[in-house]
Amino acid sequence: MSRDARDATAARGVASFYADLHADPAALRVCRGTSCWLAGGDTVWRRRSQEGACRGAYCLGWCDRSPALLRPDGRVATGERAREGDAADAPDARPDVRSLAREPIVTARIARGSFAALDVARGDGAYAALARALAGPRESVLDAVERSGQRGRGGSAFPTAAKWRDCAATSAPSRVAIANGDEGDPGSFLDRVLMEDDPHALLEGLLLCAFAIGAQEGIVYIRSEYPRAQQRVRDAIAQARAANLAGPRILGSGFSCELSVVSGHGSYVCGEETALLNSIEGRRGEVRLRPPYPSERGLHGMPTVVNNVETLACVPAIVARGGAWYAARGTPACAGTIGLCLNAGFARPGIVEVDFGTPLSAVLADAGGAAGGGVLDAVLLGGPMGSVVLPRDFDAPVDYDAMSARGLRLGHGGLVALPRGADVRGLLLHGLAFMRDESCGRCAPCRLGSARAHALIATQPGAAPRDALLRLLDVMEQASLCGFGQLVPGPLRELATHFRAGVFGEGA
Amino acid sequence: MSETAWIDGRAVTTQPGDTILAGARRAGVDVPTLCFEPGLAPEGGCRVCLVEVEGKAHPRAACHTALRAGARVRTETPALEALRRDVLALHVEMGGLAGDFTGTPFGALLARYGVAAPERPAARARDATHPYLRFDPARCITCRRCLHVCADVQGSFVYGIDGRGPETRLRVGPDDRFDTSPCVACGACVEACPSGALSDADREAAGRPDGAAQSVCGYCGVGCRIEVSVEAGRVAGVRGVPDAAVNRGHLCAKGRFAHAWQRADDRLRVPLLRTGTPDDPRWREISWEEATARIADGLREVRARAGAGALGALTSSRSTNEAAYLLQKLFRALLGTNHVDCCARVCHASSSHALQLVTGTGAASASYADIERAERIVVAGANPTEAHPVVGARLLQQARRGTPLCVIDPRRVDLCDFAALHLQVRPGANVALFNALAKLLLESGRVDAAYLDARCEGLETFRAFAASLSLEACARDAGVPLESLRHAADLLAEGPTLFVWGLGLSELVQGTASVMALANLAMLTGSIGRAGAGVLPLRGQNNVQGNADMGAMPAQLTGYQRLDDADVRARIARSWGAPPPTLPGFTIPEMFASARRGELRALWIMGEDVVQSDPDETRVREALASLDFLVVQELFETGTARYAHVLLPAAGYLEQDGTFTNGERRIQRVRAAVPAPGSARPDWLAVRDVARALGADWRYAAPADVMDEIAAVAPHLFGGVSYARLAGDGLQWPCPAPDHPGTATVHAQGFLRGRGSLVAVDYEPSPEHGVPEHPYLLVTGRVLQHYNVGTMTRRTPQRRLAADDRLEIHPEDARREGIADGAAVRLASRWGETRVLARHSTRVAPGTLFLSFHYPETHANRVTGPHRDPRSDCPQYKATAVRLARA
Repeated sequence: MSRDARDATAARGVASFYADLHADPAALRVCRGTSCWLAGGDTVWRRRSQEGACRGAYCLGWCDRSPALLRPDGRVATGERAREGDAADAPDARPDVRSLAREPIVTARIARGSFAALDVARGDGAYAALARALAGPRESVLDAVERSGQRGRGGSAFPTAAKWRDCAATSAPSRVAIANGDEGDPGSFLDRVLMEDDPHALLEGLLLCAFAIGAQEGIVYIRSEYPRAQQRVRDAIAQARAANLAGPRILGSGFSCELSVVSGHGSYVCGEETALLNSIEGRRGEVRLRPPYPSERGLHGMPTVVNNVETLACVPAIVARGGAWYAARGTPACAGTIGLCLNAGFARPGIVEVDFGTPLSAVLADAGGAAGGGVLDAVLLGGPMGSVVLPRDFDAPVDYDAMSARGLRLGHGGLVALPRGADVRGLLLHGLAFMRDESCGRCAPCRLGSARAHALIATQPGAAPRDALLRLLDVMEQASLCGFGQLVPGPLRELATHFRAGVFGEGA
Repeated sequence: MSETAWIDGRAVTTQPGDTILAGARRAGVDVPTLCFEPGLAPEGGCRVCLVEVEGKAHPRAACHTALRAGARVRTETPALEALRRDVLALHVEMGGLAGDFTGTPFGALLARYGVAAPERPAARARDATHPYLRFDPARCITCRRCLHVCADVQGSFVYGIDGRGPETRLRVGPDDRFDTSPCVACGACVEACPSGALSDADREAAGRPDGAAQSVCGYCGVGCRIEVSVEAGRVAGVRGVPDAAVNRGHLCAKGRFAHAWQRADDRLRVPLLRTGTPDDPRWREISWEEATARIADGLREVRARAGAGALGALTSSRSTNEAAYLLQKLFRALLGTNHVDCCARVCHASSSHALQLVTGTGAASASYADIERAERIVVAGANPTEAHPVVGARLLQQARRGTPLCVIDPRRVDLCDFAALHLQVRPGANVALFNALAKLLLESGRVDAAYLDARCEGLETFRAFAASLSLEACARDAGVPLESLRHAADLLAEGPTLFVWGLGLSELVQGTASVMALANLAMLTGSIGRAGAGVLPLRGQNNVQGNADMGAMPAQLTGYQRLDDADVRARIARSWGAPPPTLPGFTIPEMFASARRGELRALWIMGEDVVQSDPDETRVREALASLDFLVVQELFETGTARYAHVLLPAAGYLEQDGTFTNGERRIQRVRAAVPAPGSARPDWLAVRDVARALGADWRYAAPADVMDEIAAVAPHLFGGVSYARLAGDGLQWPCPAPDHPGTATVHAQGFLRGRGSLVAVDYEPSPEHGVPEHPYLLVTGRVLQHYNVGTMTRRTPQRRLAADDRLEIHPEDARREGIADGAAVRLASRWGETRVLARHSTRVAPGTLFLSFHYPETHANRVTGPHRDPRSDCPQYKATAVRLARA
């Protein structure tokens, strides 16, 4: 009896945490991401809410064709179709993918169509790096990744090889490699496209990681807002397993690794790696205190490496062509390339791969500026934990450190256009609602401060709440437990200060 | 490299795993906290312990930030003060709080940082569904300390967290109320709560306590130290002593809350002389002078008429060492009989006897502290989370920390949820199981050969015996798959193991055999005498260990000294003025048998309700009814007390001074917190006065004087024990000299008997196995909510938590017998029958039944039979063949 009661208590706590677990599964999901909000998504949201079962999502990852909604059958409706009703987009709809880099790496395949089918992917060289690596020592893989200087693309830009080495050095009997497909940042959709159209690059990267760290298990954690990505990766795993590219004794080597997909349940914070681990373990998606780091004690206590999808998708190329080849691209501190996502607010939305060091202005120029020829007041860079980039900083190079020196955060590389005339107060309120809704609730400043800040702006007109808001953003930034509470206030403050008149009225 | 850090300018030497908070506390720097629970992993959620670390852009939470050598930390700056104030203000503004926080740590912080308390009506109702616990959601700051102590100290997992973001809140059990939650009312959450959201009935009723006393809990043999707060002569509340070695502040519901018996209306308040019959007792109140004289006269008269052998005494395992010592001394020294026994006879006599035979001392070799040091643990025939809750919680937590635990018990007790292995042994078949494990270890050579060679004897004989056993037969007899036995042997093969057991081993015809067979495993694994390993029988009553230690045994003297040892007799004669009689006396069952034969004529029972607790109730009543003179010291008019000719009102554990000795041989001070009602007196005092009336020159003015004599009489165990040394956590015997620190691990330098003895002891089926037309085996025992015969707990709100005894029956058996959950059942053995209510439960295996015996109307012991372990004389409670019928 006591065990049942204990399980019931825990289960209720878990169910009440994840949006999916207490929502109507038949509900339409309306994207409430930044791009869709700017595209009038609120109107779609209000209308659909009145019509029937409907819920919001931050975000659906179709920012290049906002607004978007996700139907219960897993298909999306975007743009005019979303505004008018919910007629689904064509099933093979994919964004424009282009490259300003010397040589595209991460977008090499997705720029050319879908490589989801194993034979198509293998025809393009997929799994060749794995096959060669398995014939050698795992140290060769570690060495290549280390020499490449690759830094994680999830936002924190932590050196990939350092995580791998820490994990490989542990003495535990089993380890786990995890691909973080919880691409929650409104404004980013590269990982979704990679999982849908180049899943084998991800799986090959994940297997190389598992091989390098000595893991027998690989998990791809994919958010529930990406049903098509989940399906494609599941299919890809089945194909790979049937071809002895996953599972026991891969390609006849001594290396065995089972792959699986774990679905998220609707929580932005689960993109943070320790919250993601809790989510896989069936717990509330709250962050864990560090240390211990996942590389030491992660999933179910096992040493674990968690890498972002884009990070892993680059690994086959790094292993195939050598760390030095990769390190020769980009800047000394930021090696290689990065895939940037441009939302529908640009004239040419889509995915653009650039070498690190490329000026942001070049990307904006390639994107043709704001859609409809309007003036670009700012670019919302790197999602809710990123930055509001004003035109004066458009010359900043795409580079974690150079941007950081200007107080900018590149994050996961999403770019959302802020056109002149946008409702910046509404955008601020929208950002505060996002923070309130997605705060995990563990620490007091974020849990209570986000609600307080939202209530201030929602209930007090004009400039009245200004000082209190700025102080609250400071308190959350200074006092919160994890990156969410510490970083989300940043771009909100930038919005409130850069667009002071727009937010608080003239004379504020 | 410097090992020093600076906190507010004070130098702190860093330690491995150090946090800033730990360093600050060592340096005497007060960093405010709300969610930090000492001893547990940091939660990091309240963010009021923020500090500034030089070179870091943002403040850090002191509770989970490492303190590194060279760090310069500031804990009080205007910026930090402002942050803390604003975070606290968020609770008040947005946390939905209501009420007065005065007197709580949260209230103190609000005051310190100048945050006004909330003034609004409470949005959610308070939960008062439980007899003790209260939850006021309007005062909850969601710090989760309750959740963590519940999970990581107690192991009950009552609390959960619901919702997210600003909707995040505490959940109490699956239904958000205490009464249907798995709460065991240990009260640890109330202690931890910083805002008064969690409270209890005692706290709510308390006004302003005017006194407090540190003492020892009087329920089980764990021996938790308690602090009793007192208000106008009444118990206002009980807390665990935070730094106590035994319980570190933790308690169970009985220890913390079940004290209402102390002021129950039906407490005995004056000495009584029975005028009616035992069935219809009428009493005349008499003075202590008259009572003392009548007892002295009665004992003298019987001795004159029927001889010293017609007198007997039962000391009380609920009472103090001093009382037990004096009563056995009175009967031995003044009346001239060794007919002295205590209830250890009907519980761990087999354990004590077996350990004495094979190790040289009849007590635990290990201490509770070994639980946290253990690398593998076996718990056999015990249900510690119910019967010894604080030790049960420690075992559970150690298993959660990853120490493999093997539970061997006919029931799927709660610890099994955390165990690596559960061997569901058939009641009464322990020996077959243990022998199989020994054979598996020996045959695979996975024994501690060096230990056996250096410390033990009998290995070759034992090896030959093991070789003669059939594993299949053992597995069949034990009712456990051979595969499970192999897993258990694999676990033991890893090395020294802590063996914990209860009455499921002892209270059987093969009780002594069970413990010897287990001790064989303890020796094969090299466990006894090693830290983190060894033997740790869980003693039942608060002072059952002490009663045996004091010599309340018919064949041994104080300190387990031999009756026939000339030096001992001489030493005791010097102290007592007369040597003890030479012939061993009767055990409890022998005394009852003797009484029924008309030989034993007078009995003194100190605080024990043998009518309810001893087996074969009908025959116990016959024995008591046949006596010419019965003296009973009691708190209440129990079933046994009704047979008394003179009934003396006793002081309970909250009302007297003395010492108790717990199951790890720890002698601890008991102190009166409140006065006993009426003219009720401590047992030792009543005994002393009768001795004086019998002409003895007993000058003891206080229990301390008695302890001094005990130390002199049994110096090898207690020579260094005196009240002056018993402050705090007391002393673990052996403590032979005033400068001896006491003994945590016995046999550390080799077995006290010389060599540990491996004993070939074969399994024999119980006389209750395979009884025709009695297809079920009944096990009796205790449940969490009550203590033993329930004399005390039934007079407290524990009664609301468990209102009756229930017969646990497997649903398959219940279906076959047509017995609905909650239905009345006629339960019959060859020895008697009773009527009880059934509860369907998968904790018992099909074919096994379990019944508690806390309520007199259950008459569980009408069903238990006459079988006794021939070696220890301990009755068989743990396997009785029964049949069932719908009542």
